[in-house]
Amino acid sequence: MSTAAPALPDRRAPVARWWAGVRKVPVVVWVFLLLPVAVEAFWVFWPAANSFSLSMTRWNGVGAAEPVGVKNYTDLLADPIFQTAVKNNVIWVVGFGGLSVLVGLAMAVLLNRPGRGIGLYRAAIYLPMVFSLTVTGMFWRVLYSPDGPVNASLGLLGLQSWQRQWLADPDVALYAVLVAAVWRQVGYIMVLYLAGLKGVDPSLEEAAAVDGANRWQRFAQIVFPQLRGVNAVVFAVTVIDSLRTFDIVWAMTRGGPYNSTQLLSTYMFEQGFTLVNLGYGSAIAVVIFLLAIAFIITYLVRSARTED
Amino acid sequence: MSTQPLTRRSLLLGTTGLGAAGLLSGCVGSGGGGEEPTTDTGAGSGSAPTGDPDGPVTLQNSQSDPAPKEAIEQIVADYDGNVTLNTVATEQFRAQLSTYLTSATPPDVLSWYAGAVARDYAAEGLLLDISDLWTGDGACANFSDALKSLSSAEDGTQIFVPTNYYWWSVFYKKSAFEEWGVSAPETWDDFMALCEELKGKGVHPLANGIGSTPWMASGWFDYLNLRINGADYHRELLAGEHAFTDPEVTAVLEQYKELIPYFDPNMASYSHQEAVTPVAQNEDAMYLIGAFVTQFFPEDQRDDLDFFSVPPINPDVPSAEEAPTDGYFAASGSQNPAGAKALLTYLASPEAQETFIEVSQSSNLPTSPDVDTSSFSPLVQKGIELLNNTEEITQFFNRDSSDALQATADDALTRFLANPDDIPAIQEGWQAAAQRVWDSEQ
Repeated sequence: MSTAAPALPDRRAPVARWWAGVRKVPVVVWVFLLLPVAVEAFWVFWPAANSFSLSMTRWNGVGAAEPVGVKNYTDLLADPIFQTAVKNNVIWVVGFGGLSVLVGLAMAVLLNRPGRGIGLYRAAIYLPMVFSLTVTGMFWRVLYSPDGPVNASLGLLGLQSWQRQWLADPDVALYAVLVAAVWRQVGYIMVLYLAGLKGVDPSLEEAAAVDGANRWQRFAQIVFPQLRGVNAVVFAVTVIDSLRTFDIVWAMTRGGPYNSTQLLSTYMFEQGFTLVNLGYGSAIAVVIFLLAIAFIITYLVRSARTED
Repeated sequence: MSTQPLTRRSLLLGTTGLGAAGLLSGCVGSGGGGEEPTTDTGAGSGSAPTGDPDGPVTLQNSQSDPAPKEAIEQIVADYDGNVTLNTVATEQFRAQLSTYLTSATPPDVLSWYAGAVARDYAAEGLLLDISDLWTGDGACANFSDALKSLSSAEDGTQIFVPTNYYWWSVFYKKSAFEEWGVSAPETWDDFMALCEELKGKGVHPLANGIGSTPWMASGWFDYLNLRINGADYHRELLAGEHAFTDPEVTAVLEQYKELIPYFDPNMASYSHQEAVTPVAQNEDAMYLIGAFVTQFFPEDQRDDLDFFSVPPINPDVPSAEEAPTDGYFAASGSQNPAGAKALLTYLASPEAQETFIEVSQSSNLPTSPDVDTSSFSPLVQKGIELLNNTEEITQFFNRDSSDALQATADDALTRFLANPDDIPAIQEGWQAAAQRVWDSEQ
């Protein structure tokens, strides 16, 4: 590193500068880069692009796909189950994202201190994360069964009027699944924030305490702003996790009772793979893709801007 | 240190470039993708190889429950030929069946259902014509005419080998009925009185499991439609020749509504299999379900089971029962049609059918008249008699229509069972969903 040489303003045209940059990279690096790109293009981008063209057709997997233009999309707009699924997805992103971040952050702040057995608590809260979502779903199905522990506990507490068929009642089924998903996600978010909190400068908080700031002020004004980097990661992880949620809903309700817990992903699976309406299913997939890409691009642009 | 830091601009530029490349190749690819299956089909039905009866064949099996799976494995082990058996979970099999059949080297023989589904695949030219098994001294030549017409494609050729079927009825435990001092009803009024009496004793008269298996709600719909409007109307309704907003359907739902107070209140949380538990524990009394239910009961209770057919309601319609038929078909693209036919012949044989029924522990009935049924349980004997004496046979909602129409029934009927007060709204919603299915099938 020669810090002595001052950086001269580069007067060359941007293209030439770009080309110079490209040439500086050894050929072998390009080969190493191109190989995964080729694999990715063939196995990910090409099939993904295919679902765009499939969404303009009607195809049951047999014979030739019949082009139908944008009919699948106009049908989607009129489809009451699709509307339910969109609404549920909004509830899901807000509920799942909001709850798991709030609880995860609270846990991290509470457990970010030395003490006897604190590791045990952290491990216990992180533990659900080691189960797959399907296993979590199966497990909570047992808890929610009509004679299961949830209803039995409510009975013991004298709250018989609160007892429900949790997964069979369309008014509560989606929220029942949400609780199970949040139960699992909280530990993950907690660990991310714990890592972030380790990077917080304790002397700043002490200084604020000396200046007479209370606990809440110290958290809101001093600690939280320093967690900005972690927040971006948590935001991305949460949004992507909630848009791709499928397994736990499928394991617990399969979108029922009468489609009241369908998410876009479960409805796409049902249309595409259970009913083999590949065109219609692809149209739903495209909608999911557009939603996800909007979030991801926003995230990439934001993080690239902070890097610049 | 000469590497350039990754700037926002170059990052976005790169992403856009990749995206565009993907889109372009996608457009090129999709044209080929659309045509591929057609050429496959053409090759399959065009210059079909004749094959070697003793050559290797693949059997793709959808019967993934432990007992039936064991039965298939046993049957294949007893076969002389060279068979590769692949067992796939039923739901996955359903989703991939069209992919199997259109692939360049499809499995030779596949297990599936008779009726509308097999007929649709035959119309696409994907199934092997096995009419020769149904004539002369072919393996299926002495099967009943009803089975033959069920196994025929629209052009009159046979494309399916039925190997077993089962009946739907109201199952109950003899010991429980004795304990409660009640007996099986003969008439619809008897049946309603029995439900009322059992309810008075603190028993849930009717079991059902419409939670993760919402199609179970169609069992009662099918039977009430068969009893009120008859099998012809039922078939036409499912084929799209009538509307779900018809007054005939209203009558069915009105009758269904009268049964709702008698169902186990937890039915919306159970699957069809979980719903057996309260029956086994004498908390529920009767369960309208297929004969496969016997395998879900504890072993020491299976001899205690008996059944009665849903009693007649409208005396003017012919008697009818639901009897879904399972079996096998062969892919037209099979590399070894002779081997596939040899395997189908074996699967249709009385010996293979007998092994399947014994090992699978369900109460399925053989399709071959040559199977010695005298050693079968009294329950199965009674089932054979039931089906022999009925005037009309249907299969089940999805098998008489399509899985897509079944999904509309699942939504409408579970919605109706949870909130039966607005029948016209249920019918309109159902008809709108069904119309979308029929429109997309044309």
